Amino acid sequence: MGSLVGSELLKIRSTRLWWALLIGAVVWTALSAGITAATAGMEAGFGGEMAPGVESPELLRTVYSAGFSGGYVFALILGVTGMTGEYRYLTITPSFLVAPRRYPVVVAKLVAHLGTGLVYGVVCAAAAVAAGLPVVLIKGGEPGLLADGVPRAVLMSVLAVALWTLIGIGIGTLVRNQIAAIMVGVLLAFLIEPLLSVLFNYLEWDAAKFLPSSASQALLSPYDVGFAMLEWWAGGLVLVAYALVFAAIGVLFSVRRDVT
Amino acid sequence: MLTSAMVQEGIEIAVSGLTKRFGPVHAVSDMTFDVRPGRVTGFLGPNGAGKTTTLRCVLGLVEPTSGSATIGGRAYRDLEDPIGTVGAALEAASFHPGRSARNHLRVMARAARVPQSRVGAVLDLVALQADADRRVGGYSLGMRQRLGLAAALLADPPVLVLDEPANGLDPAGIAWLRDFLRDLAADGRTVLISSHVLSEVQQTVDDVLIIAQGRLVREGSLADLEDPASRGVLVRSPEPVKLREALRSASITESGSVDGLVRVVGVTPAQVGSAAFAHGVELHELYAEASDLERTFLELTTEGAL
Repeated sequence: MGSLVGSELLKIRSTRLWWALLIGAVVWTALSAGITAATAGMEAGFGGEMAPGVESPELLRTVYSAGFSGGYVFALILGVTGMTGEYRYLTITPSFLVAPRRYPVVVAKLVAHLGTGLVYGVVCAAAAVAAGLPVVLIKGGEPGLLADGVPRAVLMSVLAVALWTLIGIGIGTLVRNQIAAIMVGVLLAFLIEPLLSVLFNYLEWDAAKFLPSSASQALLSPYDVGFAMLEWWAGGLVLVAYALVFAAIGVLFSVRRDVT
Repeated sequence: MLTSAMVQEGIEIAVSGLTKRFGPVHAVSDMTFDVRPGRVTGFLGPNGAGKTTTLRCVLGLVEPTSGSATIGGRAYRDLEDPIGTVGAALEAASFHPGRSARNHLRVMARAARVPQSRVGAVLDLVALQADADRRVGGYSLGMRQRLGLAAALLADPPVLVLDEPANGLDPAGIAWLRDFLRDLAADGRTVLISSHVLSEVQQTVDDVLIIAQGRLVREGSLADLEDPASRGVLVRSPEPVKLREALRSASITESGSVDGLVRVVGVTPAQVGSAAFAHGVELHELYAEASDLERTFLELTTEGAL
């Protein structure tokens, strides 16, 4: 299994996509952290609630854990392409010829992507601090890196980014067309989830907080944006459950299918 | 040339009653054959005949609807060292275009615990060393074929399964491949290559399996199928009576006539020509029939095209 994980890591490292995605994640994280810090204490507009100031732990948690909101979609795409790329370029054939029982390949792929996702998470967390800290200081705040719940939120943002790679691999197994799979993943995160949230709220179902992005957000204990959220640990468990379900889909669907 | 000089014990591929349906499509129907070690076996048939599906069943990539395929008595999935037992190259395009040839092989070597030194060795073997660090996206079809071959040889396996390996090679490349595969078979390896172009492999293979519409229609050694004794010579003359006399006096037996041509067997066109010349018979046409193999293949290919 160690050799298969090494092989999967080499697959990721030997093409350029991983760092292109990482650059995107860093840029988005920096923007997200910087803007959140810059708009601290301001009216949200459209009658929204006022964001807390830079002195509040809620806001600091949101700024320094921005690595999640900036990085998770890129981690998702990394996972999706990690699986669909094999079908798109037919490299799934040599991969399964080396390990014809197949599930070790998929498990190794999950492990390698989780590991790469952790690297993404750490880099994004560093980017969030690097972009957020100066803005917090400019606005006259304390650095607050050790403020109430901040270290935990940063740590959880790293974990959450990594777990989204597994969701990506699951989606990539179900939808083998690369472009379609990326569209499904991105639409799921940016459109379908928010729409479901609105729908659930409209129906007065208290279910929106169990959607994967909402559960991930809960993990970071950000400031209250007017939606019901799980406790951070419950959000974490829900996210882990999603990741495991998608990982299981990845394994089960790959093992039985004909490779033509 | 290769690291292991001789393969100790030959490994046979055995396909038995193999059937594969994709929905309503019968891709392969009740296919049974053996592929012997120490020989190059050609798996021939027109495009869409079921060659690739059969090979994918042998390699455990496609689950047969019924029947079995084994390598040395075991299903591919049960092999302890899969790519160390069977080296396969299935399509000329199974590479990530953004990955270099060297990294493609390193990925496989890493997964299969093959020493990384083999990567350089097989790149040398297929003469890709100079281009090994370029991304495969910029490779020609011939270079991809050679990379596929390098991947198949990576773990120095005693069995090779190559799908259309000559496709995209220039004549020099085909000649090189022919010598290369003959050497591998001479080492005692089992070599199975598919092709839809008979002439590409005719000088390479020892044994032939011809399939059409998912069924095995002919099998045997190339020598049997190309037996010159079964090959007729057709001759046309404006003086058929004199021609027959000439043939009789040279003890050449006529075996009927075809479209006004006299057909004789068991001789070469040269013998017929000299017999006619000796009797001063004028000839307008003189040629050998296509061999049984060529005829069979042509018929099948033509059917496939209709």
